[in-house]
Amino acid sequence: MIRPDAPVLLEIRNLHATVGDQPILKGVDLTLRAGEIHAVMGRNGSGKSTLSKLLAGHPAYTVTAGTVRYRGDDLLALAPEERARAGVFLGFQYPVEIPGVSNLEFLRVATNARRLAQGGEELDTFAFEDLVCERLKVVQMDPAFLERSVNEGFSGGEKKRNEILQMALLDPLVAILDETDSGLDIDALRIVSAGVNQLATPDNCILLITHYQRLLDEITPDFVHVMAAGRILRTAGKELALELERRGYDWVDEGLASSDHAEADATALEVA
Amino acid sequence: MVSLAMSPVTAPGSASTAWLESVLKAFEPSLPAPGASLGGLPRRRSAARDELRRTGLPPTRQEAWRFTSLAPLIAVPPQVLPVPELLGPKPDHPPASGALRLYWDGDRDPLAGMDLPEGLSRLETGLQDSLLGTVLEVAGTTGSWLVRFNTALAGQVLALRVRGNVAVPLELVSDCGQGSGVRPLRLLLVMEEDASLDLLEVHRAAGTSLTSVLVEAQLAPRARLRYGVLAQGTESSCLLAHLAVSQAPASELDLTTAAGGWGLVRLEPAIIQVQGSAATRLRGLQVSRDRQIADLHSLVRFEGPNGQLDQLQKAVVDDAGRSVFHGAVQVPQAAQRTSASQLSRNLLLSDRARVDAIPQLEIVADDVRCTHGATVTRLQQEELFYLRSRGLGADQAARLLLDGFCDEILASLPKSASRWEPANALLRQALPR
Amino acid sequence: MTSTASVGDLVSQPYRYGFVTDIETEKIAKGLNEDVVRLISAKKHEPLFLLNFRLRAYAQWLQMEEPDWASLGHGPIDYQEMIYYAAPKQQAKKASLDEVDPKLLETFDKLGIPLSEQKRLSNVAVDAVFDSVSIATTYREKLAEHGVIFCSISEAVKDHPDLIERYMGTVVPINDNFFAALNSAVFSDGSFVFIPKGVSCPMELSTYFRINSGDTGQFERTLIVAEEAASVSYLEGCTAPMFDTNQLHAAVVELVALDDANIKYSTVQNWYAGDAKGVGGIYNFVTKRGHCRGARSHISWTQVETGSAITWKYPSCVLQGEDSSGEFYSVALTNNLQQADTGTKMIHVGPGTRSTIISKGISAGRSSNSYRGLVQIGAKAVGARNYSQCDSMLIGDTAAANTFPYLRSQQPDASIEHEASTCRISEDQLFYLQSRGIGLEESVSMMVSGFCRDVFNQLPMEFAAEADKLLALKLEGSVG
Ligand SMILES: Nc1ncnc2c1ncn2[C@@H]1O[C@H](COP(=O)(O)OP(=O)(O)OP(=O)(O)O)[C@@H](O)[C@H]1O
Ligand SMILES: [Mg+2]
Repeated sequence: MIRPDAPVLLEIRNLHATVGDQPILKGVDLTLRAGEIHAVMGRNGSGKSTLSKLLAGHPAYTVTAGTVRYRGDDLLALAPEERARAGVFLGFQYPVEIPGVSNLEFLRVATNARRLAQGGEELDTFAFEDLVCERLKVVQMDPAFLERSVNEGFSGGEKKRNEILQMALLDPLVAILDETDSGLDIDALRIVSAGVNQLATPDNCILLITHYQRLLDEITPDFVHVMAAGRILRTAGKELALELERRGYDWVDEGLASSDHAEADATALEVA
Repeated sequence: MVSLAMSPVTAPGSASTAWLESVLKAFEPSLPAPGASLGGLPRRRSAARDELRRTGLPPTRQEAWRFTSLAPLIAVPPQVLPVPELLGPKPDHPPASGALRLYWDGDRDPLAGMDLPEGLSRLETGLQDSLLGTVLEVAGTTGSWLVRFNTALAGQVLALRVRGNVAVPLELVSDCGQGSGVRPLRLLLVMEEDASLDLLEVHRAAGTSLTSVLVEAQLAPRARLRYGVLAQGTESSCLLAHLAVSQAPASELDLTTAAGGWGLVRLEPAIIQVQGSAATRLRGLQVSRDRQIADLHSLVRFEGPNGQLDQLQKAVVDDAGRSVFHGAVQVPQAAQRTSASQLSRNLLLSDRARVDAIPQLEIVADDVRCTHGATVTRLQQEELFYLRSRGLGADQAARLLLDGFCDEILASLPKSASRWEPANALLRQALPR
Repeated sequence: MTSTASVGDLVSQPYRYGFVTDIETEKIAKGLNEDVVRLISAKKHEPLFLLNFRLRAYAQWLQMEEPDWASLGHGPIDYQEMIYYAAPKQQAKKASLDEVDPKLLETFDKLGIPLSEQKRLSNVAVDAVFDSVSIATTYREKLAEHGVIFCSISEAVKDHPDLIERYMGTVVPINDNFFAALNSAVFSDGSFVFIPKGVSCPMELSTYFRINSGDTGQFERTLIVAEEAASVSYLEGCTAPMFDTNQLHAAVVELVALDDANIKYSTVQNWYAGDAKGVGGIYNFVTKRGHCRGARSHISWTQVETGSAITWKYPSCVLQGEDSSGEFYSVALTNNLQQADTGTKMIHVGPGTRSTIISKGISAGRSSNSYRGLVQIGAKAVGARNYSQCDSMLIGDTAAANTFPYLRSQQPDASIEHEASTCRISEDQLFYLQSRGIGLEESVSMMVSGFCRDVFNQLPMEFAAEADKLLALKLEGSVG
């Protein structure tokens, strides 16, 4: 839902970032307002996951220029957990397995940290179990997964559901979902999409990273962005995704060539 | 050659000899206390005393000891650890309901005045005589220094026979308290066919003490022993324990050791599947910080086909702590179709700490499935980040990971262990930074 | 169990290189003393610094004891019964191959290493060492155009004494171990490679060692230096005739890699292993070590060990330069009464250093095959990483496979990962292959070569196929 007067939740300006010495993001601009759903698409290696992990505060990435404001404040100054508590959520493309750490315990601690930050009360074990059982329905997940270690031995699709369960518990204002659709079977894709739709409100916003129209058939984006060589090359409405599905990304090269940074980016593409 | 730096701290020769001599003097055999079991002790004891005098403390030059510094050992006053007047439940750790607790001090008879549950009884002296030492012989560890030392000192044996299923979990508690000195403890456990028992051994010490433990357990066919050793010490205390188990076919051993806080702790599980076809599950956790040394030397040998081993040893090392894992698995020709897996996982939390992991697999049978692995790392950064991205603070996340790391082991201690709050006891000060 | 027994039968295969070349040889009297050391040095017209090097080593050796820690079973070696210098009688090294004794050329032809202009391998320069001396080095001029020095160590001593003095003994000190000290005192010949700054060596370099005399010890010495950003791939091969006595081969190999340099060292070792009863064969006691001195330097060892009665060998890397890396890829096949005790040491000194160890042991007969390794991460090696994988395959139930990895770390921001497994050729897999029409023998050799794939992939192309064939040969035989 696009409302020009809606408050800006996330504002990314001219963001440059590197891994080691290698530049990956080269001037990303993106503005997310409350109530909006954005989709970011782009070739493998174009920097989508880099952008999302950077927003979550992953230590592997160094910001070399640009700003990110979350509700007006400098997001980059916050530690990863502070971002999460403040309402920035990342659903990982590849969630890690953490043997030995109970999923339930992990979810409880995380949820309580977020609730405290929101000025709410911590939930005791029982109250939390009630909450979790209710939220499990959002992704139609078997409670048995709560008893296991975090993501350990989860199938690809189960991991993704576990990510959305966490989103449901943490009630974020900005949710970045990195290829949440990959690894999901057809039914699971519907279930997870329905869950996301249910969690989308006029007060929060969602950034979907995906390669496929089939997700966008389920969750209708207000904007579609194409990322290439570390920048947002084009932005349009949902019809852009359909065009991409038809035409692929070849036109991107021309787009890049005609841009000011032609030379630098061409080499970057080769590297990517 | 594979030259390895020697252990930096080696007890100076003369001081260690003098210490050993004083210990032997303090434990000069005397007339046994009335009612104490003797078994074949006296004969073995004097032989072991002679051997010890001859060999002295284990030289850190020896492969089996090269990583273990003996300095904390000879700092222990060479005297008999005084026994407190009263035995009884400590208010802070009452026995779990339905559990039988025996207090073990190497002096008094732990069974005196106790009502033993069905299936558990004192082993007759005659049998004791003939059985004592046999498991060690089967294991080939009679010459181990820990065995010799204990044999030279221990004046009595706690000898138990298990018949059928003992429904009551057994707890053996040795608490040296603030006392200074040496306490030798010896246990002989004979499990008959189809017998089953849950046994938890608890060792605690807060003074300048040395607890020396020698256990021989013999599992007849289909016997099942779930055996936990929970050992919590302090900087000045030492624990040396040799745990020898012989397993007949279809027997099951589930041995979990958890030790932390000791100036020096060395555990030597030696498990022999005498005809293979048995199941052995070993779990271990050792925590060392400050300048503590934790050392686990395990031996598992299959002397027949179809045996199984599932071994997981973990260590957490912080500050200037040291941790050693040496794990031998022997699969001779007779042990076809053995399936053995061994994994050593070490968490290194400080740049002054040190980990040595030495798996040692010796395999001759061809139709076997043996795997082993070892890792030495700090806490996984990706895991930490994942937790932090969900709002957990860095410390909290580290703590959660550390608890998770340890829980996997602690959870397999016998149930009655929870009374002792093992996680708290072992990890209290081991906070990663 | 049927195929297990037949698999066992597969492993015996006559040694192909057991012939003796009948050639007039100049030998010095047997036995070792200071005069012998001086004599060797004099025969080679060595400069004083090298004589002193030898004499110091000899003095050290006298003080040292033969190690027995690897619990290798062999009879006592009588160092006074051995000859320390043997050379085919011919004048100083020939300028042209045409002048080399045709018998020698024929020998190397028979070994599959043709040296003559017409037949020589097209992309490999070969240094051929016969007993104690190098008899020919091919492609020298072509290499010289690139500034690459590839010659025998004796020639290098004459022509490049400054380089020898600067580098020899700096990686493996003369008192490193008993056999290294012995080698330092009496080493005869070997190869020298020098790749100057920024040069990537235009062809594979290779040395082929041939022991011919029955009573001669072979003590060769190899030194490879790669300057800044230089790179080279080097391969050594070895064979010896069949004698019913044991010959000692105690080599020292030193590699030095400066900033950004890259050295790849491959070995296909097929010394005579003794007969099925364990009589005869080479005692292969070798010290190989590489020093990653410079930042981002890289040293990679690949070895295929199939021969020798006893092998005792740990090609190692000292990773000193920041972000330097070391690799060890090994296949060791033992049969009959062979004993192999081999592995590597990866010593992480500098920050960001990485190492990879892949070891595949195959034991058959009544042989014993041990992997012994050390991974050590020092206190300064921030961010260091090691990954090791040691797999053993047993053929028959009388062979032993042992694994003795030592892992030691003093650096929290570092990680060591070690995995090992032991298996045999599974009946199911064999059956699957056979049910697709592949013979038992071929199935086994397919499985073995599959098992070794990770290592063979590291060999230079020309030799990967050779190594595969070599293993297949060893496994060839009567299938019941
Ligand atoms: N930690 C890292 N170390 C080295 N290179 C990295 C790292 N993270 C990302 N890169 C590189 O940055 C580029 C962008 O990677 P990123 O994961 O952001 O791509 P993506 O757009 O998410 O691709 P995909 O569609 O395949 O998920 C790639 O070339 C990748 O290899
Ligand atoms: Mg991605």
